[in-house]
Amino acid sequence: MKPEIRNSNDESNSKFKIRNKGRFIIRISNLIRHSNFEFRIFKHLRISIGGGILALLLGICVISLPWTLRSSSDFYFDRQRADSALLSPQTHSPWLWFGTSMLGQSLLGQCLAGGVISLTIGLAAAAISVALGVSVGLVAGYRGGWVDSLLMRIVDVLYALPYILLVILFKIALESGLGKALHSSAGANLVVLFLSIGLVSWLTMARVIRGQVLSLRTLPFVEAARAAGVPGYRIFLRHLLPNLIGPITVYATLTVPQAILQESLLSFLGIGIQKPLPTWGSLASDGLGLALAPVASCWWLLLFPCTLLGVTLVALNFVGDGLRDAFDPKREGAKV
Amino acid sequence: MARFIAWRIAQLPVILAVVYLITFGLVWVAPGSPYENNDRALSEAAKNDLKLRFHAQSWEQFLTYYPWQIVRHGDFGPSLSYEGWSVNDILRSSLPVSMALGLVAVFIALIGGSAAGVTAAVRRGGLLDVLSLGMALVGVSLPAFVVAGLLIVIFSDWLHWLPGGGWGELRQIVLPALALAMMPMAYIARLTRSSMLDTLGNDYIRTARAKGLPRWTVVWKHAFRNAFLPVFTYLGPATAYAMTGSFVVETVFNIPGLGQHFVNGVKNRDQTLILGTVLVYAAFLLTLNLLVDIGYAVVDPRIEVEARQQ
Amino acid sequence: MMRLLTIPVMLAGLAAAAVYWSNDAGGRRPDFAFINRGDNKCLDPNGMSWMQDIRVAYALWEGLYTLDPVTLTPVLGCADRATVDSTRTVWTLHIRPEARWTNGDRVKAGDFLFEWRRFLETPGEYTYLHYYVRGAKQYASEFADYVAAKEKGGTTRPAPDFSIVGEKALDERTLVVTLSDPVPFFPALLAFPPFFPMHEASMRPFRESDGLHYRLDFTRPPNLVSNGPYRLAQWSFKRRLRMVASDYYWNRANVKSRVVDQVYADDGLAAYRTYERGEADWLSDVDANLAAQILAKGGRDDLHVFPAFGTYFYTLNCLPNLPDGRENPLADVCVRKALAMSIDRDPIVRNVGRLGQPPSRTYIPPNVFEGYSSPPGLAYDPEQARKLLAQAGYRNGQGFPNLTILYNTDGIHADVAQIMRRQWLNNLNIQMDLQGVEVKVFGQMLHTQQYAVARASWYGDYADPTTFSDKYKSDSDDNDAKWSNAEYDRLCAEAQRETDQGRRLRLLGRAENILLNEAPIIPLFTYVNAYMIRPQAKGIPLAANAMLMFNSVQVVR
Repeated sequence: MKPEIRNSNDESNSKFKIRNKGRFIIRISNLIRHSNFEFRIFKHLRISIGGGILALLLGICVISLPWTLRSSSDFYFDRQRADSALLSPQTHSPWLWFGTSMLGQSLLGQCLAGGVISLTIGLAAAAISVALGVSVGLVAGYRGGWVDSLLMRIVDVLYALPYILLVILFKIALESGLGKALHSSAGANLVVLFLSIGLVSWLTMARVIRGQVLSLRTLPFVEAARAAGVPGYRIFLRHLLPNLIGPITVYATLTVPQAILQESLLSFLGIGIQKPLPTWGSLASDGLGLALAPVASCWWLLLFPCTLLGVTLVALNFVGDGLRDAFDPKREGAKV
Repeated sequence: MARFIAWRIAQLPVILAVVYLITFGLVWVAPGSPYENNDRALSEAAKNDLKLRFHAQSWEQFLTYYPWQIVRHGDFGPSLSYEGWSVNDILRSSLPVSMALGLVAVFIALIGGSAAGVTAAVRRGGLLDVLSLGMALVGVSLPAFVVAGLLIVIFSDWLHWLPGGGWGELRQIVLPALALAMMPMAYIARLTRSSMLDTLGNDYIRTARAKGLPRWTVVWKHAFRNAFLPVFTYLGPATAYAMTGSFVVETVFNIPGLGQHFVNGVKNRDQTLILGTVLVYAAFLLTLNLLVDIGYAVVDPRIEVEARQQ
Repeated sequence: MMRLLTIPVMLAGLAAAAVYWSNDAGGRRPDFAFINRGDNKCLDPNGMSWMQDIRVAYALWEGLYTLDPVTLTPVLGCADRATVDSTRTVWTLHIRPEARWTNGDRVKAGDFLFEWRRFLETPGEYTYLHYYVRGAKQYASEFADYVAAKEKGGTTRPAPDFSIVGEKALDERTLVVTLSDPVPFFPALLAFPPFFPMHEASMRPFRESDGLHYRLDFTRPPNLVSNGPYRLAQWSFKRRLRMVASDYYWNRANVKSRVVDQVYADDGLAAYRTYERGEADWLSDVDANLAAQILAKGGRDDLHVFPAFGTYFYTLNCLPNLPDGRENPLADVCVRKALAMSIDRDPIVRNVGRLGQPPSRTYIPPNVFEGYSSPPGLAYDPEQARKLLAQAGYRNGQGFPNLTILYNTDGIHADVAQIMRRQWLNNLNIQMDLQGVEVKVFGQMLHTQQYAVARASWYGDYADPTTFSDKYKSDSDDNDAKWSNAEYDRLCAEAQRETDQGRRLRLLGRAENILLNEAPIIPLFTYVNAYMIRPQAKGIPLAANAMLMFNSVQVVR
């Protein structure tokens, strides 16, 4: 589970009002002024390195899909060769570069296919949590009053529930129904996985967005639009949303690694992605016992999925942190 | 201040009740619930225990009689998957274990995370920033079971410095606490870093430096004290999370803690165990949040003024 | 600065206090410690069905017969004399005068009758074994009707009369049991936990208001009173179970280890490390991967891998409709045979089993029962399988509905399922999905036929083929495939009445032949047991049914 802070720095909270009111105004106007920040992206080391690594990995995984998904290819992820089980990495054939699994499947093929599936789950779960978090945060922040209190109480209560409980129960509750609806238990399993992860990860986003909207709401141009009779949804779309792109991007980028890790935890518990589809998390969890055995270690089963997983997640975190810094020019003055 | 505390304490039972309802509803709806028309779902002994002690076989009684039992006797009922054991037994034997493990983990996370975060903030943009943040991130970028497994292999199988699991001696706490602390440590590091950057940008810091105070005095005595607030806020949820146990760490290190029992309970749809554990967890979390809020007054006197002014 | 430090210092202090409080060191080192196959589910013989519980039960209780520590064949235990009449259906058993419970009370015939009656009135997993006794089945069903009628409200029906059951106490120390048919393995049954005695007086405070059920608190120390070599001294949830030698056991001079501990470890590698640290002397279920790696490296002196008394197989749903309402193609024998004949067991035992499990085409483990010749079963023949599938109307797999393979997500089951799926795809061009669920849900789904194809396993409980063949009788509760064949039932019933052992085994062989040819199950391999025993620990037999008698176990230091 991922416990979250109760009052993020960006949240407008009555306790902090005295200290931070001035800064919020400055920050927002800076944001608007610097909305073409893309040119400064190369100043930010973190974002370029992280983004570059991500693009590279994702590109390789996607490009290799025609091979990893074709059952006649050597790189097919489910090609079980009974005579080539648990081979350590060899250099003579490309499909043996990462070694083989217990059933004789090429680990390279599995890692490539698994990368696509892991990142798909991560992105889909992040998308769902963005959609849910932004809507709830927008409504709560904009409406205020009892709607705000009710929604925030709900968020508080959901925080008090252990995340594992919610994910497992959502998954179990939705899976059988979806399986019947889609007539395919494998497809239902995938959909339910990112649905249930996404449904649990939106809480922080909601809080952050609410905080931003609360401070945006008091700005003159928003009040002017309201006074002019502009309907609510247009205010959302044309005035509020563009200014929320910053926090949304940051937290969306930071949700993806969480989702991927949560999927690996579910695989470890035995309720993750359904076999034979691989993900990096399930490959790591399957290889754990074999690789860490004190006697004869099948180290490749853990090394390659974990390296890929680690590099991708560090890159994603770097990008997220870098974006957060990028949207906060005030920090440039922080030198001791 | 007293009114504020009283108001918050009064809210506790309401939130706990809502938590109870939501959890109960979720477990009820999930297929595989022990109350489906499936005579092998609950063994005879468990069914009878539930029926005769709690009169709770239908959902109505779960909403009325059962909570009353909890409130009046503190009795969470029999566990539905561990026959013959009551939820109170399970909680009593595993909660202290998880609490000890969690507290040590939070301690490690606090020290390590703050140090890493402060270093990263002070040396912003430099190699040390990337390095210390990177090291903290590695712990969060690998699945917890991998980190736990690697710790055992390195420190126990190869170096033989520490025992690789079990529970009973003080030495056996170190590795699992370290594994458990990875995630909060990374979070505290980032939080400290961003909060320190905020604080270091203030004018009074520059004034202090201009006055000639040594750099690290300024950083620790002045900046860190003010930057600590968000970290302090985070301590509440972090401690609650760590204390109610992490399933992965407990499984890999063979520790008889609450996290294992809880996850097994969820997988087995053990309603009473789930409800008991969730209520304990929620109570911990809410109490710790309350303590943190009260503690604000200790750490930052301006807030008390603020609250009084309101 | 000082203020900030208060928080970490407080945390550290609380941590130390909690560690101190949660420590369960408990003082004395055990004479023998072992890691069992899983945590104990239920120590009430009425509800017992798991192997780890039965192991502990053998230490805590003793039946009229008990098992010899070396050969594990039935020998006299609580009874010192047993005679059977010429029809071989009336057994007279005399209880040893020095047999006592752990609280000093003498063991009486009434203690056996109490528990045997309880088995009929509150049925458990093994109640069907009691049906060998004359009148038992009838009494059990009448009593069930009586309880159901009482619950509905009317008490007009009188309670059924227990005297129709062929179990009587002639006096305080003599039991007479009348069976409906001669049962040559009856001593083995008497040694098995469902036939143990129970101490009614110590259970009475835990009786429920319906007068029938007992709260399981009676199985926890200090409440449990048992009559075996050990008494239950301590049982902390999922941490440690401690048994101490009973001062009243009649054979206490021959109990070698005074204090026996069961240590818990859920994860296979964690269990191994616990053993390596010296906290256990016997690891009864070594992690399969670990054992395979040790074997591949040449083996170790303390690792013992040997065939077990159980079979790993796949079960096919034989009902006319699948759980979602579609027509079930597996109801057709040709389809089932095709599926059975298109499985090559070699990759399964070589790459997944890895412990030298013998591939098996038969349901009853071969070469275990003397005089029993196993039928050949269905061989691996993909060509013939394809022909059979075409014969059933699914030439080249066309039109075959998409089925799901159900398994529980522990151990090797996921890997075996992947291999099966791929072989059926390659050999028969049939698509199947995989569905892995938790073990408890798996058990429910299997038992209520909520599956199309599922993994299964069965271990034998006593030394007779009927422990396997009874499962697939039409009226058996454990018949998960819901397969029914009149000839099979007839052969089993005839074997039950047959007194000549040779003829009896031949009848059972013919029955198994029918079972294998109709293929409601696809046997894959015979299980192996993997033990790790410290060289100083003596007295643990390498028995196929993985049982042992704790009173002969000793760690020589």
